[in-house]
Order: sequence, then C-alpha cells, then structure tokens
Amino acid sequence: MSTPHRTPTPSPSNPTPDQQRANSDVRLSVEQASYVYAPNPSQAPLFTLEALSFQAKPGEIVAILGPNASGKSTLLKLISGALQPLSGRIFLNGFATHDLPPQIRAQRIAFVQQESRLLFPSRVWEFVLQGRHAHGHGLRFVTEEDMAVANNALTQVGASHLADRWMDKISGGEKQRVILARALAQQPLLLLLDEPTLHLDIGAQVDLLESLRRLAAENRYTVIIVTHELNLTGEYADQVVLLQKGKCLRVGTPASVFQRDLLEHVFQAPLTVEMTSSGRPRVTLFNKQ
Amino acid sequence: MRPLTLGRLFLRCGILAVVLFVVVVMALKLGAVQVSLYGLGRDLIRVLLHQSSGISTDYGMIVVDIRLPRILLAIVVGASLSVAGTSFQALLRNPLADPYVLGISSGGAVGAIIALMLENQLSFSPEFAGLITPFGAFLGAAITIAAVYFLGRREGQIDSTTLLLGGVITASFLNAIIMFLMSSLAGSNLRGGATYWMMGSLSTLPSKSLLYLLGIGFLVAAGAIYTTSSDLNLLLAGEKEAMHLGVDVRRVQILVYLAASILTGLAVSVSGAIGYVGLLVPHAMRMIFGSDHRMLLPAAALGGAIALVIADTIARTVVAPSELQVGAVTALVGAPFFIYLLRRRLA
Amino acid sequence: MPGKTSSFGARVLVICASSFLFCVANLPAQMSSAAAPAAPALHEVVDGYGRTVRIPVNPNRIISLAPSVTETLYALGVEGRLVGDTDYCDYPPDAQKKPKVGGVINPNLEQIAALHPDLVVMSKEGNLLETVRALDSLGIPTYATDARSIEQIISSTQKLADVLNVSKVGKALTADLQQRLSTLQSKLAGVPPRRVLFIVWPEPLMSVGKSTFIADAIRKAGALSIVDSNQDWPQVSLEEVVRLQPDFLVFAASHSGSAERDFELLANRPGWQILDAVRNRRFAVASEAIIRPAPRLVSVIEDLARQLHPDVFLEKPGPDEPAAPANVSPVSQPKPLASLVSQSSCSAETSCVL
Repeated sequence: MSTPHRTPTPSPSNPTPDQQRANSDVRLSVEQASYVYAPNPSQAPLFTLEALSFQAKPGEIVAILGPNASGKSTLLKLISGALQPLSGRIFLNGFATHDLPPQIRAQRIAFVQQESRLLFPSRVWEFVLQGRHAHGHGLRFVTEEDMAVANNALTQVGASHLADRWMDKISGGEKQRVILARALAQQPLLLLLDEPTLHLDIGAQVDLLESLRRLAAENRYTVIIVTHELNLTGEYADQVVLLQKGKCLRVGTPASVFQRDLLEHVFQAPLTVEMTSSGRPRVTLFNKQ
Repeated sequence: MRPLTLGRLFLRCGILAVVLFVVVVMALKLGAVQVSLYGLGRDLIRVLLHQSSGISTDYGMIVVDIRLPRILLAIVVGASLSVAGTSFQALLRNPLADPYVLGISSGGAVGAIIALMLENQLSFSPEFAGLITPFGAFLGAAITIAAVYFLGRREGQIDSTTLLLGGVITASFLNAIIMFLMSSLAGSNLRGGATYWMMGSLSTLPSKSLLYLLGIGFLVAAGAIYTTSSDLNLLLAGEKEAMHLGVDVRRVQILVYLAASILTGLAVSVSGAIGYVGLLVPHAMRMIFGSDHRMLLPAAALGGAIALVIADTIARTVVAPSELQVGAVTALVGAPFFIYLLRRRLA
Repeated sequence: MPGKTSSFGARVLVICASSFLFCVANLPAQMSSAAAPAAPALHEVVDGYGRTVRIPVNPNRIISLAPSVTETLYALGVEGRLVGDTDYCDYPPDAQKKPKVGGVINPNLEQIAALHPDLVVMSKEGNLLETVRALDSLGIPTYATDARSIEQIISSTQKLADVLNVSKVGKALTADLQQRLSTLQSKLAGVPPRRVLFIVWPEPLMSVGKSTFIADAIRKAGALSIVDSNQDWPQVSLEEVVRLQPDFLVFAASHSGSAERDFELLANRPGWQILDAVRNRRFAVASEAIIRPAPRLVSVIEDLARQLHPDVFLEKPGPDEPAAPANVSPVSQPKPLASLVSQSSCSAETSCVL
C-alpha cells in the first residue's frame, strides 16, 4: 500500500490521531440523512429526499445511481456540505460536513465541476493553483509547496504538457482533466463528481473512470460519483446507492444491486444483466416492443 | 509557470509609482500659468533640505496651494474609482460594471442637489458651505448603498445577478428623481451649480482635512478589499464554485460590497460622477498584468491615479485659461479606448 | 508559511499611508505670497454676505469677478487699480483689454493668484460661494457686493466706493443716480403702470421673478411685470401670458443690433400672434445692460420709461429731448407707437443710453 500522498494540514480542526484511527475504516458516514426542498412554505414541498444511510471507505468509489429527478444531485450537495440535512447527519471523519467552515471544508472535500466558465481567461497552471486557496490564510502568495502540489496534480491526470496553455483554448476532454487536477490540488479526503461523463465521448469516459480508480487506490481518496450510466457504474464502482424519486432502494456492491427486476422497475426499461468473468455485472438494454 | 510573488508585485508597483511621480511633476509644471520646471525643482529640493521656508513667491502659491491639492485629489479619486470598479467587476462577475452601476453616483447626486437647495435656504458661512454639498452627497450615496444591499439579497445572501438588477433599477429611479429636482430648480440660480456638480470636476479646492479624510478612507477601504484578493480571483468563477474551493462567499461579498461602495461614495462626494475611469482602468491593467487581483488591485489604484491626473491636467491646460470638465476628457478619451478593447476581445 | 504573508498587507498599508501623509503634511498652510511685500494696513468691513472681512485699506491690485462689478469700478474711476477681470467683462470697451481670469462661475484660480491681487471683488448673485471659499483658503482677501434691488445697487456702489477709498466720487455718482430716479418718479407719478412681460428667453419662455433687480427696474420705469413668481428665472407658459394679456413686451437687445428683427423673430413664433401686444406691435427694447446690476441700469430705466410712456416725456413738441444731466448723451427721438426703435449711441466713459 503506497504511503498517503498528502501531508496533514496544520489546521485547528484536524481530528486527532486517535479519532482518525477509531474511524480508520469508515471515512464518510451518511446516517439517516433526509432533505426537503420547499421554496414556498405555504405550499407542498417540491421535492423530498427520504432518509437514507450508507458508508464509504478510503480508496472506494461509490456511485449514486438513478434516473433523472431521483435526488442524486441533492444527495451529493448534502454530502458536500452545501446543504444541511433536514434530519440525520453526514460525517466526514467524525465531523458534520455542513458545520465545517468553508475553508476547512474545502481542505477535505473537493467538488469536481462539469464545466468552468471563467470571466477572464486564465492559464491552466493558474486554474489548478486555485485549488490551493483552501490551504492558505487571507492574503498570501503562491508557495513552493503550492507549486509542487499543483504540478503533481497535473501529472496525475496526465495534463502536465498543458500547463502553459490558456483555459479557453484547450479541448473539452483536456479541460475536464484540468478541472480534476484542480480538485486534486485541494488534497482532499473526498472527491465528488456530478455526472462527469455527460459531455464526454466513450473513450474519454473510460479514461476518466480509469484515472479515478487509479487515483482512489494510490492516494486513498473516497470518490463519490453521481451518474445514470449503468455499465460504467457496474464496471468501476465499489459500492452503488440506488435512488428513485427521492427514495433509496438499495445500497451494496454492483453485483448485489444490479438485479434485473429492480433495475427494470427503477429505469422503466427492459434489460438483462450478465456477470462478467471479473465479477462485474453488465447490463444490456432492449428495445421496448 | 510564473506565479505572482511578492518581489514581482513590488517591482511592478514600483514601476507604476515612478510613472505616477513623473506624471505628478509634469502636472505641477503645466497649467494656465507658466511655471519653470528647473526653478520648481530647485525650490522643492531646498524645502526638503530645510534650507528655505517656502517656494518662490512667483509661483509658490500656484504650485503648492492650488495645483498640488488638486493633483492629490485626482490621485485619491482616481485610485478610489479604479479599485471600486475592479471590485464591482469581480463581485458582479460582469466586465461592464463600473462604480456607478449600482446607483451610488445617482444617490450622491440627489444628496448633493438637496444639499444645494438647503444651503440656499439657510445661509451658511463660506467655511461650512464647502462641506455641506459633499456631506449631502455622501449621505445620499450611503442611503443608496444600504437600499441596494437589501434589494440585492436572495435567500438572505447577496446574489450577483439580483444585486446588479437591484442596483440598475435603483439608479434609474434616482435619475428620475434628479430630473424632477432639476426641473423644480429650473428657475433658480442653483441649477448651474447642480449641473456643474453632476458633470464631475476636480476644480473645487480641497482643504487639508478633506484630503486626509479621503486618503485614510481610501487606504482603509482599499486595504480591506485587498485582503480578499485571492477570494476575488475564485469568485470570478461563480459563487458555488468559489464556495467549493473554500471561499467564505457571504463574508467576502459583504465586505467587498461595503468597501467598494464607500470608495465610490467618497469619490463622488467631492468630485461628482467622473466617468470611464472606474470602468476602463481595470481593463487596461488586466490587459497588462492579468486578472490576479493581488496584482490587479494595486495596479488599478496606481493606474487610476495616473489616468485621472493626466486627464485633469489636460482638462485645465488644453483651453487655458478656461477649463474643460474632467468628466468630458475621460469620456472623450475613454470611449475610443473602450471601443478598442471591445474589438480586441472579439478578435 | 502563512505568517509571513499576513503581515505583508500591513506593511504595504503602512508604506502607502506614510508617503501620502508625508505629502499632505508638507503642504504649507498658506503661502500668502499674494500680499504686497510690506505688510499692508488692514481694516474690517462687512460685505454682501454679511461676513466681516479684513481687507487692505488702500487696495491697488484689484480683480473683478463679475461684469457688473467691473462696470461699477469704471464708474467710480478706479480702473487704474484694476489688474484683471472676467472673460465676460466687456463694458466699457476698455475693460476688454484687461488681463482675463476666466468665467464668472468658474474663474481660474491660478491666473488670479498669478496677478498677485490684494483684493478680489465679487458679486453675491453672480459668483459661487465655492469661489469665495477657495480664495479664502488661499489667503486672498475678497469682498462681495449684494445687489438685489435698485436701492441696493446704489447703496452697494457707495459701500464699494468707501472700501476703495473713493467715497467722494461714490457720493457724487450715487447722488446723481438718486436724483435721476426721483426725477423719473415724479414724472411718472399718477400715471398708471404698464403691464409688461419681460422676456429673458423665448423658448422655453422665461421671465424674471418679482424679487430680482430687473423686476425692480421695471417697476421704476413705470411698469409692472405680469409674472409674479418667487423664483429668479421662472418659466412661464404662453397660455398664462395670453390669459394675462400684457400691454407691452420687453426684451433685451440682442447682438444683431436691430430691434425690429428681434421683434419679428419673436412675433413669428407659433402662437404668439394671439397676444395683443404682438398684433399691435407694442414692444420695448432695453439694452443688454438691463441684466447687470450696475450704475448703467439707471440709464436703462430712463430709456425704458420713455419707450413705455412716450406721452409723459413729450413735454413740448420737438425733435429733441430737453437736456439731460451732463454725463448722459443725447437720446433717440420719441417715435409713434407703431415702431419704437432705439438707437445706440455710446460715449467712451460711463453712462450710456442704448
């Protein structure tokens, strides 16, 4: 097992070694978290995410799977700390994610955006250095450590050669890698991705998932991906949280979650499920007759 | 990869400071009355070395009592407007934002006109007379700042789009009030004074205490904004993204909004609404130095000072002994420059 | 190394603050280089603003910041001590040759300072309080006249004469002006005043308010302005004028010179034919001196009275008027009501009837 990549950040909210060891196996713990979206208090809520629980370990890739409007993005926002759960709690190494101050939270959780619209163009290396903001104090300039981490992040995603290019002049796939590099520069415990494969072609999709698997294994990240891609999930996820219309229907390994009747019910489409030699399920969709 | 370091920052700011110094010396020399550079330099050195008590009486009063305060005023106002413009462009994520887009100058104008009307009704002695209008203008600006803040909130937090809309609406409402006030002033002697104020000029001779006040206000407000430079860099990408990268979006927005508004209010109170400086100097500095606010903010301050001192010098020399309004000079130079910037962007 | 950079901001602030404060602190409070080499004798007077100002007893480098002030200074015979005036000071013609210091509301401080004046004379109506304040802070003595009525014009002329050490000349001038006015009063006693509209600007139609000196001048000329407003330059609607139907239209001569032409231009504006005064061509032209609160105004009043009440002044049939006071040039012949045109004739010195 390779040594952990990051050095502990000297922040006051760092859990003690005892606490870390106590939770050494479980990093993320979602406990009966629920959410209600009701912009108008006098009317019925627009969306409800019912209480659900699951846990994730270091090095694991968890897929939050479901059709559109099943509450996947809401769950991701709860995990990222952007939203506060109506009931229940979400712990990252023992700390409730919503209660963390923004800077500390950014040191632990990195959200990988699909796109990044910049108002004024910047270079790739400047963009990746933005990820280091969480580790600074107030007015500060770029340190040697920042440079090293940023360079390393670019190398890890295979984009070092892009360092001096302008952000608006690189391709979509390259941009996606740079955005991932920025997230890695935050040196997080948790990597969150919301439908990252949406705009990518198949080759790029596979590239991305392969990288994530490698990064999670090497650096002990916990990766949470929101997706509705069945086969990618089946192939790469270690754990699947299956959602439909705000309800969590099952949590488990792909093999245990990918049951034909269950999937057909959730996705409203006829399909078959096969097991490959590596123990991963593969789903084949049929035409509706 | 060449990130900004402290050394590089000081070097670039140093160069700009030298440019500012040269511009100031030229501005001291040029004007309606001829002043010899050599004589001036010689006298200045003597004063600094405490060899003589003052500058030659031929041009001493002109240079020290009339031109120098005016140049200092131009420096502070130019720097304030540029820093405010840069901040609003970042806060509102809009490259067209300038210090007046949220209605602060309109609020200041309303305050100034009302102050002029009051001044006329109750007669003040001349010492106070100089302060009533700026005070009224600042009060008008402050009320506008508070009103737009409350209008610009969404779910309890500043939202840049809502803020921009709220500000624009407030500005047009206040402009309507200004038109109403001006028409009710139509028959009186005050109308000339009000129009003159609104066009923006640096010709009111500032007192020392006013300069102190402006200078300290600038340093405090601009300093506060500067501490959020790296946050502003991230804020440009979007509020959600910035939050995920560790920015305390709410705190930064409130601080930048208040500080930039105060800078604008101070500038507008003493000089009316001088346009284009707060819009174009940030863009020019961005073209030279990039959009890292740690470099951009000081560069904008110095660049704004340089620009306004030059504009003011042109305003008072081109048709000497008369003066152009400095707002007219900035518009005449600014508009073509703005077109140039637009075309560059499209290219 | 976070600690290193957080003090950076503080250091920058300190450097900027100290350089700025250094700059401002080295601004000497006043250079006072405007004063004459030997400390002049000063005395205190109260000026038009009600301020008590300390000015030299015998100022001999005077700058005038208003055309009315310049005219008054020439009328008092002190033009030799006038070292500068505004761009708009054009009467008497000699005034145009004096060094110029800019406009009335925006005089150029540098040029004023360069002339090293020991007194700057301003008018409360024309100049801005801001200018007073600026000159005060530069240590240049200022004195403002206050002239909102004919009486005040005369009394402030006397006060100015006292300030400038020419009281006797001032008394002679004011006595003459008073005398002419009272002669006029007696001639017009018992004559009903003409109802007139004084036109400052035709479009938008602007007239004068009742507390201006122009309205006062009109009253002294045996007329009454039909506009009763507290504003100084009120805008009136043509409808209101039609309703009030003034007997005469009065306007100031334009630079084109021909009063007939001015009237034609006015009469041809849409809607103006409704006015009796236009149809019957009853108008009077005052010289442009009517807008200046200066001694010349009395001559303008006399001329206006002659145009509005020709019958009063036709004491004996004949082409010429009886001799007027010595320093007034011959006036134009009284003409039939149909076309009243004044001719200009200016003497080089003080009073002039246009």
